Amino acid sequence: MAWLNSLSLQQFSFEDILYVVGPSIIVIVLILNIISLLKDRRINKLRRSLEELQKTYEALDNQAKLIIKTDLELHKTQSELDKKISSLYTLQKISHTLSTTLDENEIFQKISEEHITELGFDKALVFLVGPTQTTYSPGTTAIKLRIGYNEKDIEAAFSQEYIKDIFEQAVKKGATLSSIDTKINPKHLNAILKSSKIQSFICAPITTKGAIVGILFVASESSYSPITTGDKEIVSILATQIGQSLENAQLFEETWRSHQELENKVTQRTRELSAALEEVKAVTKRKSEFVSAVSHELRTPLTSIKGYASLLSAGKLGELPQPVKERLEKINKHTDSLSQLINNMLDISRIESGRVEMKIEDIDLRKLLETVFDLLAPQFKEKQINFSQEVAKDISTLPADINQLQRIFINLLSNSLKFTPPDGKIAVRAKKTDGAVQIDVEDTGVGIAEKNLDKIFGEFYREDNEINQSVKGTGLGLSLVKYIVEAHKGKIWLTSKLNKGTTFSFTLPISKA
Amino acid sequence: MNPTTYIGTGFSAHKNPFEAAKEASSRAKRQIRAKTPNLAIVFSTTHFSQHSLLEGVYFVFGDNTNVIGCSGYGVIDNSGVHKYGVVVMAIYSTKIKSGFGCIKEINADNTRWAGEKFARASLKNLGSTTREIALSFCDGLLEKNSELLSGVKDVLGRSFPIIGCSSADSLLFSKTYQYFNKEVLNKSIVGTILSGEGSFGYGLKHGWQPLGRPRRVTYSEGNVIKRIEENPAIEIYKDYFKKNTEEIKDLLNQISILYPLGIYLSEEEEYLLRNVIKIDNDGGLICQGDVPQGSQIRIMMGTKESALEAAKLAAQEAKYKFNDTAILGAIIFESVSRIKLFGYRINEEVETVKNILGETVPFIGVCTFGEQAPLKSLEYRGESHFHNETIAVLTIGERHGLA
Repeated sequence: MAWLNSLSLQQFSFEDILYVVGPSIIVIVLILNIISLLKDRRINKLRRSLEELQKTYEALDNQAKLIIKTDLELHKTQSELDKKISSLYTLQKISHTLSTTLDENEIFQKISEEHITELGFDKALVFLVGPTQTTYSPGTTAIKLRIGYNEKDIEAAFSQEYIKDIFEQAVKKGATLSSIDTKINPKHLNAILKSSKIQSFICAPITTKGAIVGILFVASESSYSPITTGDKEIVSILATQIGQSLENAQLFEETWRSHQELENKVTQRTRELSAALEEVKAVTKRKSEFVSAVSHELRTPLTSIKGYASLLSAGKLGELPQPVKERLEKINKHTDSLSQLINNMLDISRIESGRVEMKIEDIDLRKLLETVFDLLAPQFKEKQINFSQEVAKDISTLPADINQLQRIFINLLSNSLKFTPPDGKIAVRAKKTDGAVQIDVEDTGVGIAEKNLDKIFGEFYREDNEINQSVKGTGLGLSLVKYIVEAHKGKIWLTSKLNKGTTFSFTLPISKA
Repeated sequence: MNPTTYIGTGFSAHKNPFEAAKEASSRAKRQIRAKTPNLAIVFSTTHFSQHSLLEGVYFVFGDNTNVIGCSGYGVIDNSGVHKYGVVVMAIYSTKIKSGFGCIKEINADNTRWAGEKFARASLKNLGSTTREIALSFCDGLLEKNSELLSGVKDVLGRSFPIIGCSSADSLLFSKTYQYFNKEVLNKSIVGTILSGEGSFGYGLKHGWQPLGRPRRVTYSEGNVIKRIEENPAIEIYKDYFKKNTEEIKDLLNQISILYPLGIYLSEEEEYLLRNVIKIDNDGGLICQGDVPQGSQIRIMMGTKESALEAAKLAAQEAKYKFNDTAILGAIIFESVSRIKLFGYRINEEVETVKNILGETVPFIGVCTFGEQAPLKSLEYRGESHFHNETIAVLTIGERHGLA
């Protein structure tokens, strides 16, 4: 260290030092300058990059703003669409529920708080209106549905004039009104919302058969559930649906009532008819009994008269002068007529009262017709009337009471003989029909006026014509025929044309039962 | 091995509240082999008389059942979301023990204290059993829901899972209800701390994505953001929506649901969402939960698809623990905002959760004004936060060998 100590700084001047260190300093300064220059460049580059980054950031932020703005619009549309879809789904549920009832009061009970909540509302009210009452009136308005309101709430909320005015407008215009309608005076709207403690409302008229019968009012208490035009449409559809359901219920009620009235009338008429029928039956029975009794009483003296008349005319009590004989013949003839009349009346009366039992057996129709023709052959011959019979091949026998069937043919053929002019034709035809044998007795007689066809089987009825005026008859023959046919469970009818002829047709069942 | 836990659920939309609760409770009871449940969880919409509702529940379960629950904008069961009705979950278990707590009359001044007190009471009632998870329901109209949760965390620890919700009403923001046994309460927190190792799984997601540049909250007071980057907080919405203050106020309900604010949390995977419920006179944004001063926030945007994906992830996380065994039941806490976002497609979200958990897993749920759950649950037991716009899924199961 001695050599160092020997070197005193005092030995070197400033110039000497500068001479030695100077170049180094210059080099250092130069280096520092270069470094500083490089750093400045880097800083500037970084600054530029930062500025660019900031710009990009700002651009991205602006893009974000744009995205948000677009997204907000999209959301608005989307949420409205969402709300509409979910409301339509709820509406479909309500419609289905309403369609299950036809009771007017039940319709309103079926709309539940759950439905109203799902539609996005907190409160609902339905009340009825009419020609004299077009808005809510405390104490008199018939409230049909109340959700989210108690009675006190209703009076407090709806007694206010502005809301009453809204109801009246909805009824008069038949239009759905709401708190988003620009036509409502904002001051009035605020007053309505404040007094009703709601944020929004929709008021829709309920229509049945073209007339407004009620108001559906729904409201939302929350500002988070703002109403839209879509909501208005939905509530309007719901009101229509309620109206439709009410109309259906009324129609059902009317139909049910008229059905009930008709049923009552039918029951009443049936009762009256039954009573009348019973009366008729009683009268008929009394008549039959009377006829039967009278006939019996008449037949005994008639038999005596006829007996004595025969005795006298046979000359067993001495020869009688001719005029007396003639008178006696007349007595005899008239007694026979009277006797036949009484017999017919007795038969009718017996058949009518069910006292005559048909002895059903298989009858050979062809044989029977031959027998009857033999009996009536003199009359056929006398009037030169052609008789023909035509029995279908498939008819061999016919179940019937042979005596009664014979009486049918005798009566019908006698009737035809009576009204068929000489040289006429009478034909009997038999054929099988549905479960029966139909027999037609056709003549070429004078025929019967159409207006009298219904009367022909009536007791004591005689057609007003020349033949009847000249030929006497009882008017009981065809009645008896009808009774006999019906006693066989058959039917009888006739067709006739004046001056052309008449056909009597009757059926007899093939089955013995 | 015999099961130690049975879970049954029931739903009813009966008009009569007593009958509705009776019907839902009876259905739930039938599924737990008619045993008397230790715990019944009840969620209901506010349409019903709430007292009659609890009478109906007790009519079926009897006095030995503890009941907790709350009201919601809607209720959820396996068939979907119902805007009208009541759901009941009945839990019978010899493994899961409960310590119940209920603190009433909460106000702005005692919120944190109430949270602490609730946690202490629940812990005390649970006794010495190892605690596993806390289930809590508080009034959704409380001003400081985040602070209430902070109070609970102060006692239970920051990483202890707390899952639950803030009760809701039909968006009237007027009165919400909490149920504690036979009591119907307001301004309260009710709930339970549950024991039962390996019996619970949970997941929470929202699906909202950040948009635009981050901004710093330069001044906030609890749940009110006063200034963002030294400007009145409302400027963020005015700037993004190009609308004036009045227009923003009118649109706030919609904006707040669709575009909430997201708070960036460096230690978490997802942003913490905050709904803005009001705008104060100074242009401050009043949120449903706290926003710390100095935090970085961004505008968030949600789509149905991203929200649906989030529901799937939340359900997957909740199921994760039970991959080797069956889930016995689940509870869903669904933000009302999601109901609004999904619209008529809301049941798609429920279906997504159902598909993940399993078709036969019975679950109930409630539509809430806020959800409480840890943000992350896969890597570590994340810190529980108060959330908006999320879906939180709690699963209850039975893992073999843990009984």
